[in-house]
Amino acid sequence: MENAWLIPLFPLLSFLLLLLIGKRMKEASAYVGILMTLASLVFSILVLFERFQEPSYLVKFNWLTIGDMHLTAGFEVNQLNALMLFIVSLVSFLVHTYSKGYMHGDERFHIFYAYLGLFTFAMLGLVISPNILQTYIFWELVGVGSFLLIGFYYYKEEAKAAAKKAFIMTRIGDVGLLIGMILLFWQTKSFEYSEIFKAVEAGSVSNTMITLTAILIFIGAIGKSGQFPLHTWLPDAMEGPTPVSALIHAATMVAAGVYLVAALFPVFSASKTALLTVAVIGGFTAIFAASIGIVQTDIKRVLAYSTVSQLGYMMLALGSAGYVAGVFHLMTHAFFKALLFLAAGSVIHAVHTQNIEEMGGLWKKLKWTAPLFLIGTLAISGVPGLSGFFSKDEILAAAWEGGHPVLFILALIAAFMTAFYMFRLFFMVFTGENRGNQKEVHESPSVMTLPMLVLGILAIVGGYVNTPWFGSFLGDWLVDGNTALGHAHIEGPAWIMFAATIVSLAGILLAYLIYGKRSIAPDWLSGKGGILHTILYNKFYIDEFYQITIVAITKGISYFLRFIDVFIVEGLVKAVTGMVQGLGNIGSKLQSGQVQTYGAVAFLGLAVLVVIYALTGGYLR
Amino acid sequence: MSYETFSQINWSIMTPEFIILGVIAILILMDLFMPKTLDRKILGWIGITATFAAMVYTAAMAGGPVQSILHDTFRIDSFAIAFKLLILVGGALVLFLAVSYEPKDGVERYQAEFYYLLLTAMLGGMLMTSSGDLVTLYIGLELLSITSYILAGIRKFHPQSNESAMKYVINGSISSAIVLFGMSYVYGLTGTTNLLNIANELAALANSNHVYLLTIAFLMIVIGLAFKISAVPFHMWAPDVYQGAPTPVTAFLSVVSKIAGFVIVIRILLTVFGFAATKGPGSPPILYDMQNYLAVIAGATMIVGNVVAIKQTDIKRMFAYSSIAHAGYLIVAFTSLTTNMFQAIWFYLLAYLLMNLGAFAVIQVITEKAGSTKIAEFAGLYRRAPVLAVSMGILLISLAGFPGTAGFIGKLNIFLGTFYAEPSHYVLASIMIATTVVSYFYYFRVMTQMFFRPAADESKFSIPFGILVVLIVAVAGSVLFGIMPNFAFDFLQNNLDILGDFFK
Repeated sequence: MENAWLIPLFPLLSFLLLLLIGKRMKEASAYVGILMTLASLVFSILVLFERFQEPSYLVKFNWLTIGDMHLTAGFEVNQLNALMLFIVSLVSFLVHTYSKGYMHGDERFHIFYAYLGLFTFAMLGLVISPNILQTYIFWELVGVGSFLLIGFYYYKEEAKAAAKKAFIMTRIGDVGLLIGMILLFWQTKSFEYSEIFKAVEAGSVSNTMITLTAILIFIGAIGKSGQFPLHTWLPDAMEGPTPVSALIHAATMVAAGVYLVAALFPVFSASKTALLTVAVIGGFTAIFAASIGIVQTDIKRVLAYSTVSQLGYMMLALGSAGYVAGVFHLMTHAFFKALLFLAAGSVIHAVHTQNIEEMGGLWKKLKWTAPLFLIGTLAISGVPGLSGFFSKDEILAAAWEGGHPVLFILALIAAFMTAFYMFRLFFMVFTGENRGNQKEVHESPSVMTLPMLVLGILAIVGGYVNTPWFGSFLGDWLVDGNTALGHAHIEGPAWIMFAATIVSLAGILLAYLIYGKRSIAPDWLSGKGGILHTILYNKFYIDEFYQITIVAITKGISYFLRFIDVFIVEGLVKAVTGMVQGLGNIGSKLQSGQVQTYGAVAFLGLAVLVVIYALTGGYLR
Repeated sequence: MSYETFSQINWSIMTPEFIILGVIAILILMDLFMPKTLDRKILGWIGITATFAAMVYTAAMAGGPVQSILHDTFRIDSFAIAFKLLILVGGALVLFLAVSYEPKDGVERYQAEFYYLLLTAMLGGMLMTSSGDLVTLYIGLELLSITSYILAGIRKFHPQSNESAMKYVINGSISSAIVLFGMSYVYGLTGTTNLLNIANELAALANSNHVYLLTIAFLMIVIGLAFKISAVPFHMWAPDVYQGAPTPVTAFLSVVSKIAGFVIVIRILLTVFGFAATKGPGSPPILYDMQNYLAVIAGATMIVGNVVAIKQTDIKRMFAYSSIAHAGYLIVAFTSLTTNMFQAIWFYLLAYLLMNLGAFAVIQVITEKAGSTKIAEFAGLYRRAPVLAVSMGILLISLAGFPGTAGFIGKLNIFLGTFYAEPSHYVLASIMIATTVVSYFYYFRVMTQMFFRPAADESKFSIPFGILVVLIVAVAGSVLFGIMPNFAFDFLQNNLDILGDFFK
């Protein structure tokens, strides 16, 4: 573990190398990136296994001394860090490999790899930081990396706008984080996590202050993790290349917000209000984004909203004091969502469109992608036996035990919706007739399918590290007797598991009836007719019934929320920027170029100050 | 004065000033006797060498005792050394820009003047750092200002440059008048121009009518000096002057002149008003009493600078507003009046010096080539000159205060200061954060131009040697002090006890 600091340096090296000689290496650049991230991955695995046996490891040195303030820098390997190192370097490595096929033929291939390296460096640096200031520094660097990657297709107007939006929106959240961080420093005289926890535990920070700082820091997490109301950048960020979406918008950057809350969990858990805020925002985001996901027609946008929703889930877990549940879901989600994005990329690669209404019937044509996509879909839907099932169950139990019945029900409904829209996606893409006009559809090369295969396996088995049946290994290890982090495993009532299963299966069934069956029905009916016809007709009638009732209502809510999203949330953002722009206009109008105006303004300023002084503090009183 | 007393004066502490003064004289003579056909660039290099010599000599004085000569009008204390070093580093970098400056409108004839006027202006700034007397402070200020007026108008066949000089002179005169008026009150109340004597006199001030007069003087001095640091409400000259002046001069005004401005602000306000009692001996000084007024100026400066910068389409005007905004951040540091104030201001000025001069180096190359100062000229820079674009990118994120750069450490310091202060300045801190976010809009607009826009023409750039030097120093410094800020802080902490020396 002494060498854990090397892990982030490999991708940095890759970035620097590619920046210098990438142009000459052309597509061979990929090998540099892949090798370097492989090195990171190997080290991460070693560190992870070492951490299983040994206690946490912390190195720090004095970085900056200003007067009587001492700021330190260094690195730390604890349970959470070690796990995150593994997840980030694994997904990054797989994405590096996958991109070799996906980005093939791109003019700026080497630059893409350079940016990937920079991003991976920042993200790995973030997770091994032992103090919040260092975390913040890498946090911002992650923002830069994602700005560059989202705007990679800079000739596309939308990509440019999306990159800018992502950057500015997350920056708004970062302001909260920065202020919260400074307040913590002011109160505890340290940026170090351990010192902060000590101060909080000792009760030397007032309750109001803890609540305030926790909520401010959470605002930073809201921005980064795309929680309501700062989520709008995330779906737009889908303008970036698809492997980027898998890396940034599934497993790493968006998870940074969740990671931050988890890393500072003792601070959050010291304040009921802060926890409740996290839970409510998370729960609302989960259902809000899920309902928007139902009406999207762009394959990546569905996944984007699903990501927002799942991140909301994790926040809900953390807010319900389910530390293990949140981190567990962070891990499983990283696997299956990265898988889904990569599979979606493979689909896009094959059919050259992102509109699911122009897809269909791809099951037979994409022999690898389709089953892997199905695995991802099953996992995210929470079908028993796959990883998502266990982590989702843990979250539901946490929400129930956390004493938020309303949030529990929200989470349950969100689970239903998730299963529904994910299978809607699956059926529309892979079953039925092809509605597009793609002539030749090819499966992606093995350099793309292999990473998906790895993730597919993990999406299936990843959940077995923490199950009610085979023991809660992950939970025990993560918590390790630390009471501030809560229980290693939350024993919810058994019916929660059944409820979760039923809800998820119901969602799948509904999606099947509407999108699976209906698309088959017309052709099939005309051929056979007879009794079958009536039966199927009746079935179709049920579909219609669903269509009118449940779906219509959900869609109604969904459009309504979408409306809020577009007009109110974005409207607020527009209003703020408009105000700033307006002030700017007034300012430049005053700047008339008349030198007498300038002198007059100075005199006026002086006069105003003197008058104020005379009135308030001076002679006249 | 007999020779004896003359020779007993410890002239050696003025060596840096003498070096610059001597070189100015030599340059004037060389210019006179050199054949017209010879290139005057060599004069610029001589100036740079002299500046380095002065820099080395100044640095060597660090750690020594406080010394003063000429009836305490000229003093060497840690404050003087620390800020004189900044002025010399800034001056040297500006000279590098100047030797690479090749305008096309027939000012080659004044090239030599250009160099020694820059040196003279720098000399004014150096005198200001070491002044212990209102009179010498004012002389230093005027030496700096008057040469700057000429420098702004040195492109005499260029109407914009003329306009710029004219506006600068008029506004500068108004500001001088206000400052002098304020100073005359101080002199009237104390009967001395020596800063430390003034401080002693005022500490015993008991008459509330006098306090009232003195506070008016405070406001006049603050507003008058706001001109030099381009703070609200005396900021409006900056965009017009910056736009019209030759780029090296703009760089000089935005950095060296501003450092000198802060030097005089700190010197006068801290010594004169830091002790002037409000209600008899032992009561809080006027400076504390007036913190809110400074805070208002700081807040307004940050808001105006950052918000109006968004609307600019001209890169030099944009940087004018950006420099107004940075002045605002610096006043925040001054307003909080913590024990770390000197370090915070010094480090921020250092960071600002590096990133702003670096940015102006890039601006100079691009505007000269394009013949226009529109921001749109930066389009596609990454394709045309990746080195320039990446350097500019690093400098911009440093200006924006992004982690990993010197600009971030500088802002963090100031920000922590506002919380350490008693009472804490939450409002200022929030304005600072909010306006910093606003600043991303305009800095990143240049970024998008450079990286995400196609270029109008694909012609390449040749980067002159001087520009290259400035860029390397600026970029390396911005990154180094962003990652290892302790280099700068340790130097300051181990060698220069500014707070301890200041009132000796």
